[in-house]
Amino acid sequence: MTSVDQVIPDGDLKNPSALADLFDQLLREPNIDKTFSARLMAARECLTVGSIESEPFLSVLLRTQGRRIEPLKDALLCLAAQSDQDFEVIVIDHDADKTAAAHVRRIVAEQEPTFRDRIRVIEVKGGGRSAPLNAGVAAARGEYLSVFDDDDLIFGHWVEEFHVAAGRASGRMLRAVSATQRVRPEVWPHDELGFRTLSNPHAEYAQSFDFFDHLRVNHSPFMSLAFPRMLFSVLGLAFNDELSVCEDWDLILRGSSLAGVDDIEALTSIYRRWEGGNSSYTDHSINSWRESERRVLGGLNDSALLMPPGSVTRVRELLEVQAEGQNARLQLIHLTHSREWRWTRPLRVLLRMAARGKRLLRRLTRRGTAAGKS
Amino acid sequence: MTDLRSLAVQSILYQNDVEEIIRAARATSNAATYARENGFLSDWWLMLGDSSPSQLLDAVALDTIRGLVEESGGQFSYEFFDRNRGHGGGHNKLAQGGSTDLLLFLNPDGIVAPDTLAALMQTVRDDVGVADARQLPMEHPKNFLAKTGDTSWASGACAMTQRAAFDLVSGFDTETFFMYCDDVDYSWRLRLHGYRVVFEPGARLFHDKRLTTSADWQPGEAEVYYSAEAAVLLAYKYSRSDLATEILEAFRTSGDEAQWRAANEFANRRRLGTLPTQLDENHDIGAFVAGNYAVHRY
Repeated sequence: MTSVDQVIPDGDLKNPSALADLFDQLLREPNIDKTFSARLMAARECLTVGSIESEPFLSVLLRTQGRRIEPLKDALLCLAAQSDQDFEVIVIDHDADKTAAAHVRRIVAEQEPTFRDRIRVIEVKGGGRSAPLNAGVAAARGEYLSVFDDDDLIFGHWVEEFHVAAGRASGRMLRAVSATQRVRPEVWPHDELGFRTLSNPHAEYAQSFDFFDHLRVNHSPFMSLAFPRMLFSVLGLAFNDELSVCEDWDLILRGSSLAGVDDIEALTSIYRRWEGGNSSYTDHSINSWRESERRVLGGLNDSALLMPPGSVTRVRELLEVQAEGQNARLQLIHLTHSREWRWTRPLRVLLRMAARGKRLLRRLTRRGTAAGKS
Repeated sequence: MTDLRSLAVQSILYQNDVEEIIRAARATSNAATYARENGFLSDWWLMLGDSSPSQLLDAVALDTIRGLVEESGGQFSYEFFDRNRGHGGGHNKLAQGGSTDLLLFLNPDGIVAPDTLAALMQTVRDDVGVADARQLPMEHPKNFLAKTGDTSWASGACAMTQRAAFDLVSGFDTETFFMYCDDVDYSWRLRLHGYRVVFEPGARLFHDKRLTTSADWQPGEAEVYYSAEAAVLLAYKYSRSDLATEILEAFRTSGDEAQWRAANEFANRRRLGTLPTQLDENHDIGAFVAGNYAVHRY
């Protein structure tokens, strides 16, 4: 028996975070240097659940600018109705003007007292989309945290599913399935700035998390994920303030590399796609999106990354597909430069002309028939 | 505001989770406080009717709910029916002998937002006979007019009605409908009497529906049976015998056991002469659109 076996609790060996898993692998090496082992073990301890004081289970960061009061009321009702109430809500008023800020506070004050007591409102002035998130992270006390924007919807088991999954995946990111639904702004009968729902929920996002697919494009709306708070409090991650958009994608990629992701087989949220009105898609230019994407990928390229189990097979498959594509291209080049290809050129020209003639004849026949009918 | 009106909030229990009922009562009491403080509500009652096989709420649960309601200036009553009266039957029983200006039919586990009662009370007046709330997270797709909220029917999951309108049409038709479409029928009978039926998007109800991972809704066995039974009865009642025949034929050949039973139930009623009296012979009100009772937005 090695000293490592005596120290690491069985529970943590079940499904630890990616980084903890790497530490465990290193610690299992029979010839590991004792000093290094001791230090690594101390670091590993920091990654166990319970190493940071955390209560409640979940901190919900709810960003708002107070511009969409009716969707904000929807969001708060969805939270009030959760089957698992082991969470706190941090409403982050980001750059709301005086009137909007007052609306937000009034709506919070109207909530049912046992729910209202678990809501805090913090005010953030200036900064990009990351600024309120980092302020929310600093205020959060939960074991996990999740970002739920003021215009999306969650189902009644959103917290419950995260909570159950956290029990089997200590320290990993948690991801449930999310749907999309189209809405457009509309004034309601009592002159409220409301909206009209235009479609059924559509499960267009990937059902499970794939790191490589996410490198290409983000397949995970923010509220489909719960992040272990230790990613921020122990490992020091933060939302990148230099990004005008894509701050979620950036943290999902960096966080999933360190923590790994545990999939939840349940649809627990709806991402509302706005047609008309303001959204991050309309508030930022294409150039801004491209620049943020470039920064996200640049940052990852400059970093060492932990890949999830199965990555070797996945990378080999991707390389094989690439190689097959290259082979096919080479064969095509070879074919088009061959003697046989050159010799049969007149025949191909004749065939093309015949096909063109046939098409012309068909068009003329159709026109004639149509004229006859009228 | 001086337009204070009284309200009875009615919920019919059937083997629900007790904690969910208490949570719903907490939200309703908070919404009543809001409506009182904002000048809409005077006296109010929370009335629970229990259709479960045995009494669902014990003394502790009853005390908890009573405490919540009284703290919000309301009164609480609980009636164990000792039989399953169905949705409309339970509401009719609770409404008997009451005298409030307004009634709210509310799912027993439905969570209302702080301003839901006030928003509905603002809407249900004059010629509006009944108004329903917007359900979350799955909004009902029935169409409504943007400026007025007028719609084909109001969902009994959270619908407020004027007491006078309820009495005028003698409440829900419990002879014909047990669980489904009694709200559609109630709405349409009010419209036949000249009342408007309105959807109030500013009033919210969290109705805990869940979808599969492919975003589909999987109805339970009881839902399939009772909605099938109600569909054919509703078509018949609103003078669409042609449609009722079509539906019956589809049920008989569907291979679905619940639909087959629903077709048999209709045949039984026809034999026994217990089919409802037909209404709306000119088809002014009843809307049967692609299997729905309104034009749907999606």
